[in-house]
Amino acid sequence: MTTAAFRNCGRVAVAIVIALIMLLPFVYLLLGALASTFSLTGTIDLGSYRLTLANFATLFARAELYLPLANSIAVAVIVTLGNLFFCTLCGYVLARRRFRGKGFLMVTVVLVLMVPVHVVIIPLYLMTNWLGIFDTYLALILPFLVSPLGIFLMRQYILAIPPDMEDSARLEGASEMTIIWRIVIPLCKPALAVLAVQTFMVNWNSFIYPFILTSSESMRTLPVALALLQGYQNIDVPQLFAASVISVIPTTLLFVAYSKRITEGIIAGALKG
Amino acid sequence: MPTNSTQRLRFSDYFFLSPWVITLILFWLFPIVASLFLSFTDYRLLAGSYSFVGFDNFAQLLQDAAFTKAIGNTFIFTIGTLPFTTCFAILLAIFLNGRLPLKTFFQSVYFFPSMVSLVVVALIFTSLYARGGYIQLLCGLVGAPYPQEGFLFSTATALAAVMAMDIWMATGYYMLLFLAALQSIPNELYEAARLDGASAWRQFRVITLPHLKPMLLFIVVLNSIKSFQIFVEVFVMTKGGPLNSTNTMVYFVYEEGLQKFNIGYGAAAANILFAIIAIVSWLELKLIKDKTA
Repeated sequence: MTTAAFRNCGRVAVAIVIALIMLLPFVYLLLGALASTFSLTGTIDLGSYRLTLANFATLFARAELYLPLANSIAVAVIVTLGNLFFCTLCGYVLARRRFRGKGFLMVTVVLVLMVPVHVVIIPLYLMTNWLGIFDTYLALILPFLVSPLGIFLMRQYILAIPPDMEDSARLEGASEMTIIWRIVIPLCKPALAVLAVQTFMVNWNSFIYPFILTSSESMRTLPVALALLQGYQNIDVPQLFAASVISVIPTTLLFVAYSKRITEGIIAGALKG
Repeated sequence: MPTNSTQRLRFSDYFFLSPWVITLILFWLFPIVASLFLSFTDYRLLAGSYSFVGFDNFAQLLQDAAFTKAIGNTFIFTIGTLPFTTCFAILLAIFLNGRLPLKTFFQSVYFFPSMVSLVVVALIFTSLYARGGYIQLLCGLVGAPYPQEGFLFSTATALAAVMAMDIWMATGYYMLLFLAALQSIPNELYEAARLDGASAWRQFRVITLPHLKPMLLFIVVLNSIKSFQIFVEVFVMTKGGPLNSTNTMVYFVYEEGLQKFNIGYGAAAANILFAIIAIVSWLELKLIKDKTA
């Protein structure tokens, strides 16, 4: 019995050490963001350390990070709402109807997921130019309003729901839109929650697309602003860290609140491939 | 209502499908076809006209020292991170699958780095790797040699430093996938093995490993596809330097196509990358399938 207890302690000790390895860089980030002074070499002087929110205050007085924060929130929220709606519509048709070209559409959904995104950055850049939406909110939103992963997730979920309720509603003369709104969406809430968290996270953290599809400072999202401000003379490390903390907060909150949904979404997303 | 035969689609169905069809055409199919087309031209964004140059771009790329260096670095990055990430992920998953208090808590903590924006992680590590930063202090403590100028500024260590960060960050993500696979193994198998007196190592070899194989295969392919596309880390931490020592294929595509606006040349590089990813994934699938069969 004592050896078992001893073993247990050993396991917990190992678990804690690994947890520290995973968390210490973020502790460093947080302490740096809250530090009154920061050494040039990037270490925190614990002797003169004083907690302060001054870095955050300076940050919010600066337009170059205030606007990206607003942009990031707006884009992530709109793209998430768009995905919830459009992926449900598409998933519904792909789950319930049989038609010519359905097989092809399903294949495109899966194939597109396997195309390395970076292969298309140049033509995507050109495309937004030709459409006249380069460096606008439309470029940040339109290409991402409906995602193959979301369609796949919704289709799988709807397939598992018996269509009886939809059929009887149809007999009573309900329109397809009413059926989606009143029957399908309420039944799909668990899948929609997974999709919402997943889409928000991906778009909130997204760097390469907003980076190549915009050029002006006022269109930057938070990750783009962070990457481009780094190394500039007029921003110091504590401020950069403060901005990073702000960008990590929504992810962390979502993660703490919905870690089960997030893991479900990731496993579902990975396993379908 | 016949569900087994082809139905006429309602008007609303076309409407429901249209967002995906439009997105697919405008932002996926068109770019893929355009990328193929452009790679055979000398199209430059600032020049007015362009002409077909056949395979010139590809021939020129193979002569381009920066490009071959980028291919080499990308392979080093992939081969140098994938085995470590995979092994650590399996070990962590097995560890978490055993008896451990606060299991969900530790699982979340280990997974946390892969939830955070890559830009933020890269910023943190840029500071950690800096001259006089914490990693140098750590090396000093254990007596390991380190470059005075900072890890990201030495041609000897820059790529390795980026790789180490990537392993640290990605392990939790793959751990989660392995954990899902582990939890699908029926417990009775282990009980039976224990009754037969099989050792822990034997249980692992005979039960765990074969059951993990489909996930392992999937993760190796997924991880290498992702590794071949490394970009953000390079952009934030090193800009491909010092002396191209961390230049990778996607970074090369970005620099040629979207910095210097050599669209045709960049597109050709992107297509070579695409081909490499396709071939490597196919080889991996084939190799692992042959071994398991």
